[in-house]
Amino acid sequence: MDPADSFPTDALRAYVRAALDMQGYRFSEECVAAITLQFARIESIARTILPPAEELNAITDFGPAPVFRP
Amino acid sequence: MTGALEIARRIRGGECTAASVLEETRALIETRDAALNCFTATTFDRAHAEAAAIDARRARGESLPALAGVTYAVKNLFDVEGLATLAGAKMNADAPAALADACLVQRMHAAGAVLVGALNMDEHAYGFTGENTHYGATRNPHDLARVSGGSSAGSAAAVAAGLVPVTLGSDTSGSIRVPASFCGVFGLKPTYGRLSRSGCFPFVDSLDHVGPFANTVADLAATYDALQGTDLRDHACAQRGVEAVGHVAPLPAQTRVGILGGWFDDWAGPAARRAVQTAAAALGATQWCELHGAAAARAAAFVITAAEGGALHRNKLRARYEEFEPASRDRLVAGSLVPASWLIQAQRARRQAYLEALELFGRFDLLLAPSAPDYAPHLGSETFTINGRTVPTRATLGILTQPLSCIGLPVCAAPLWPDGDGSGTDDESGAGDMPVGVQLIAAPWREDLCLAAAAQLERAGIARTRLR
Repeated sequence: MDPADSFPTDALRAYVRAALDMQGYRFSEECVAAITLQFARIESIARTILPPAEELNAITDFGPAPVFRP
Repeated sequence: MTGALEIARRIRGGECTAASVLEETRALIETRDAALNCFTATTFDRAHAEAAAIDARRARGESLPALAGVTYAVKNLFDVEGLATLAGAKMNADAPAALADACLVQRMHAAGAVLVGALNMDEHAYGFTGENTHYGATRNPHDLARVSGGSSAGSAAAVAAGLVPVTLGSDTSGSIRVPASFCGVFGLKPTYGRLSRSGCFPFVDSLDHVGPFANTVADLAATYDALQGTDLRDHACAQRGVEAVGHVAPLPAQTRVGILGGWFDDWAGPAARRAVQTAAAALGATQWCELHGAAAARAAAFVITAAEGGALHRNKLRARYEEFEPASRDRLVAGSLVPASWLIQAQRARRQAYLEALELFGRFDLLLAPSAPDYAPHLGSETFTINGRTVPTRATLGILTQPLSCIGLPVCAAPLWPDGDGSGTDDESGAGDMPVGVQLIAAPWREDLCLAAAAQLERAGIARTRLR
């Protein structure tokens, strides 16, 4: 997928607002919009390695997430 | 500026002094850096003391260390005693000066090298262009209208311009290899954990690497050797002794070299593909292979970088957001909001890609890929287009380097000139005679193979620097 193709959904906008608030950030609406766009981009890339939501219940073992050491 | 080993040889032989080399370096920096903007600070007082000590040792008849009298500079995220460690950030200019040198600066000092200054970079190492709103962009010595690449911008450009023969930089996702590619110099990103990062301003602890830049493979290897050694102050630094490369051995005749396709070909533009083809022919590589986890590794690197980088700066982002680099501060804030489950899944993807890479090294000793999608873009480019896809410049120029640093493999970036007979004739991109690098990738801890392959390309006249 093209990582540039990332547009915030309503759920994503709500998540960003709530997360900003919970972490004590205070930003203008303009800043929140810019941060939301950046978060949407991260989400679009993260989505490529996350299990699809409809499969989550079927996964019983996600496996370890070890600290990386070569 | 003469090469590092040649400088050391001349000083050892009495053909020149460390003081005279320093004066030559100082004149070059004072004459040329205004146009390039590589340096954010110079350390000539200290350099005079270090050079005088080398000359005194020679006068006493002592044997001199490997890099005696070699002038060098470091990315300004390395602690230098007496200087505030900027890490490219204006807000750090007010921080207390470092009380001691970073570990690798200490090692360069022990090797006889003479530190002349600190080098410009993308703020907090979060960028691939070398454009810094507070300290200005570092310009590409081969075309001042183009970026140097980043985040180790000054480190690559200072070597390419011949201001110093070697520099040190850091590479979290490509910050040695991308600027090395754009500026046409050699760069080494060693195995994750090989070189100590203590005394370096962190960015993404689980991805940060440090390494050298140079104009020749011999200088790169000599500097790398001087930097090696364990260091308990860096928790990631491996407990391995010095595995000196010394005089770079020829690549063994039976070396199996694979050409990375898939992701690495999909994101390579015409010039990058030509560079890979040229290097492949010189290395006798005919077999294509694929790291199927490359896309996932790149995604993992992106998520880990965003999350760890955002977490590192969260407090300052809350209090001093306006002082951050406008081009990356929103990405940092967004990164600080990444859910833990994404980060953990990214670590799983990273492990999977690493295991797949180890399997690949059962079939090949060395892998070949482009260092960057294309030539250095012009300053101020918000987006670039590669094979029909338009993507954000700052965040995407490392798309070919991120999967490899994510899994910690050693990589030597070697500079090629895909249109390069030196005539300056344009190709269809209008880039003219600009460099594009290739990545020479080995299994963990086999930096010797990366360097041997780079030396083979250098001997063949394919990979080389062109001082500007």
